[in-house]
Amino acid sequence: MPFRRLATHHPFATLGFVVVAWLVVPIGLKSFTRASFFELTAPVTVAADYARGLQEYWSLRLHSNHELIVAGRDLARINASYEFAVQQNAELQAGLDRLESLLRLPTYNNYRLEHARVARRDFSGWWQRIVLRKGKNFGLTAGSPVVFSGGVVGRVTEVYATTAVVELISSPNVRLAGIVEGENHVMSYQGGINPTFGPPMGIVELVPLDTFASASSPKRLVTSGFGGVFPPGLTIGSVTKVELSTDGLFKTGEVKLDERLGSLTEVTVLVPLTPE
Amino acid sequence: MPTSESNPLEHSGSLLESHKGYDPRVIFFYFALAVLLLILAGGLAYQQLFKTETYHERERVQSQRRVLVPGPRGNIYARDGTTILVGNRPRFSVVLYLDELKSEFLREARIIKKNYGKSDMPEATLREMPFSRMSRVSVVQRYLDEVNTIIGRSEKVDAASLARHFGDQLLLPYKLIDDLTGPEYARLIEGLPVRSPLQVYTSSTRFYPFGSSAAHALGFVRVNEELNVEDFPGEDLATFKMKGTVGKDGLEKTFDSQLQGEAGGTIFRVDPAGYKVNPPLEKRLPLQGKNLVSSLDIDLQLAAEQTIGDQVGAAVAIDVATGEVLTLVSKPDYNLTDFSPRVSNTTYAAIQAQGGEFNRALSGLYPPGSTYKILTAIAALRSGAITPDTSIIDCDGFLQKFNHRFVCYNGLGHHHDVLLRQAIAESCDIYFNEAGWLTKPEGLAEEARRFHFDRRTGIELPGETRGMLVPDNAWKERTKNEKWFPGDTANVSMGQGFVLVTPLQMACFTASVARGEVFTQPTLLHQPNRPRQKSESIGLTPEQRAALIEGMEACTLPPKGTARNLTTVEIQRVPGVRIAGKTGTAQVSTKAGMINIAWFICFAPVENPEIAIAVALEGDTPGEDFGGGRNAGPVASAILKKYFEKKNRAAASPFQPAKAN
Repeated sequence: MPFRRLATHHPFATLGFVVVAWLVVPIGLKSFTRASFFELTAPVTVAADYARGLQEYWSLRLHSNHELIVAGRDLARINASYEFAVQQNAELQAGLDRLESLLRLPTYNNYRLEHARVARRDFSGWWQRIVLRKGKNFGLTAGSPVVFSGGVVGRVTEVYATTAVVELISSPNVRLAGIVEGENHVMSYQGGINPTFGPPMGIVELVPLDTFASASSPKRLVTSGFGGVFPPGLTIGSVTKVELSTDGLFKTGEVKLDERLGSLTEVTVLVPLTPE
Repeated sequence: MPTSESNPLEHSGSLLESHKGYDPRVIFFYFALAVLLLILAGGLAYQQLFKTETYHERERVQSQRRVLVPGPRGNIYARDGTTILVGNRPRFSVVLYLDELKSEFLREARIIKKNYGKSDMPEATLREMPFSRMSRVSVVQRYLDEVNTIIGRSEKVDAASLARHFGDQLLLPYKLIDDLTGPEYARLIEGLPVRSPLQVYTSSTRFYPFGSSAAHALGFVRVNEELNVEDFPGEDLATFKMKGTVGKDGLEKTFDSQLQGEAGGTIFRVDPAGYKVNPPLEKRLPLQGKNLVSSLDIDLQLAAEQTIGDQVGAAVAIDVATGEVLTLVSKPDYNLTDFSPRVSNTTYAAIQAQGGEFNRALSGLYPPGSTYKILTAIAALRSGAITPDTSIIDCDGFLQKFNHRFVCYNGLGHHHDVLLRQAIAESCDIYFNEAGWLTKPEGLAEEARRFHFDRRTGIELPGETRGMLVPDNAWKERTKNEKWFPGDTANVSMGQGFVLVTPLQMACFTASVARGEVFTQPTLLHQPNRPRQKSESIGLTPEQRAALIEGMEACTLPPKGTARNLTTVEIQRVPGVRIAGKTGTAQVSTKAGMINIAWFICFAPVENPEIAIAVALEGDTPGEDFGGGRNAGPVASAILKKYFEKKNRAAASPFQPAKAN
């Protein structure tokens, strides 16, 4: 009879045993287990992404020749305008280099650009992150900034053999030093608590009292370059609301982030050439 | 079944122990046990049911801690309402929340203890610093190294301060590095993980954009250990307080309660070791104090201060209509920035050594010299002793009277049959000696009291002296046990001898004369629509008042006005403005000998007075040529030039009100 009673409670006993065992397991072993699990599931994630890529490929194949010709023409036009912008940027960069050399300013970090495909998006109220289809195999390092055509994506937080996890700037775990475009006062940007399907938002603190912004007259928030991680001038988002903080020293504000952060397919990792 | 009772001998010597089922003697113990149990149960019930509140309260007090944070002080603005004279600036520091490191401290202590067994560390070291303290220093240094790596410093943990903080203020963040530079704070924002016991902490400290300007009027603050938060629960809890500030001088002191921010607070539950358990049970954010708009015009203030430069003295400018103080300068002064967040002993000693703390504008007592002749003239006119167009004396540069030779120090060219206008313009001592004698000392004293020279002005600043003096017969008999002599009257009539006034009093007097009244209440607060002040009339006929003002205007005009440099020297000229003034040069005795006090009082424009000024500068060398027109006049000129320059600019701008602020 007692044996039968024990058999009835067997699942609970097992669960309890596992929980207790997990609690007493050393932290090092837990980390190893977690990393191993991630490495184990990484091929599945990558394979699923390849399958999605194949699906997209075949769906694109369904487009007519006419549509492809129109798309090609549009792309050529966009490329032309980008070529022009690249030339202008090169000229501006040369001017900046000359001024920095004259003023003997310290140079910013140099980066190697590593383009990577997004294998998985993981959005919830707890975290906002994506998994890249590149990892140590391409020399990615933890802490590297990640960007896309709309500005800052986030920072690499974990790097595995063939994958890397990027914490998005919409995550409360990402903080960076920003400035309002055209000004030089450094503010603290931090991701907000974002609902799963809501528009990505962030919070900016230490905003000077003479900075004004509203939804109808937003201010572009860009990276300052002073933080030592992100190069200057990358778009973080738009400050759409500022209000006086209770201490009266600064204002705090809301930052509207690029909605494309939720549907990224390709990003660029800025791998520092001289990692600190 | 046989029992031992039935046949005791049967089991005699047996090892088996047997009990009988019932023994009446045991009943007594049952009762005793029951009573004891009842007592226990009753006590338990009493403790649990009737003393619940008491224990709940004790548990609350034991397991909760209150942290109070001061609110930032309000700003002090110039009279334009936008220029900040005293504000707050952020002070960035990197702090470590020790209460989040409990497990790390314990782990580190275990490692150190283990390694200690293997090492040959002397026992004395262990007595000086036990394992627990060593572990704290080690862990904190590890975090500090993390910060050092990010910002490129090589800071070390101060073990003593860490121990003090751990013992007394565990719930408050421990400051690792204070007053970070902008780039350092930017690097830490990006470099430190968001979820880390290391955080960049922002506090506020006083910020003085104009450094030493208006230091005595604005005042400074000191660290305040006492911090109270109203209507915030937990007064009986163990409370940790961040240091606040309290005004110690100037407007900061007078309006401390208004400027003081509203403190915020947090109540945390703590574990038995005193470590915080999140989230907080109660939280209120601190609020900034109320702002203050002062009456000071920073442009005028700077103009006056720059002109006085390194000289010792004071200058006060007052809005004639309202009594609002536009400028309040006292030199030497001190740099307010040195007091933020706290002044060093060396700097404070240096300030005290040069007398920088002393506010000469409202506590500096000087004989007013010939500027007092305006009061003598008013007293004489009102008493009927003189009229504007009647000669009372022939000034030959000296006068032999009362067995004494009275000299006219300004009459080297002989004033002869001088009239009131000329006597004021050329500051004829003999004329005013005679006017004083004709008015009598009681008349002069009574008039001085009517103009409030015997009392404090009541400006909203701490430390205004009570030592001002209007001497008369009774005062001299009472204090010096001497009779009043005609020479005393002569001295008083020209602002020498026992008369003592402050520069602020003279500025108020000048403003009162400009308005044709007897008192001006000075104020350092600005109100945009403050009504014109009204006090008792000066009591002169229009002709008498006109003669007085004409004499004062002639003082600033060639050929013989004692302050003619205000119109003849190009750099001191105020174009298109008629100025009524009076110079004065008083002598005071110092350790080094007799030194001069250079005075100049004035108001402008003559036709519709707007601004009244009093300047008093101390000479530093006995016997030097240091006088009111030459030395004090340029300071007043600088203030007037800036005032009318601003007024004209405002009038020219279509977007500004016509009146200068």
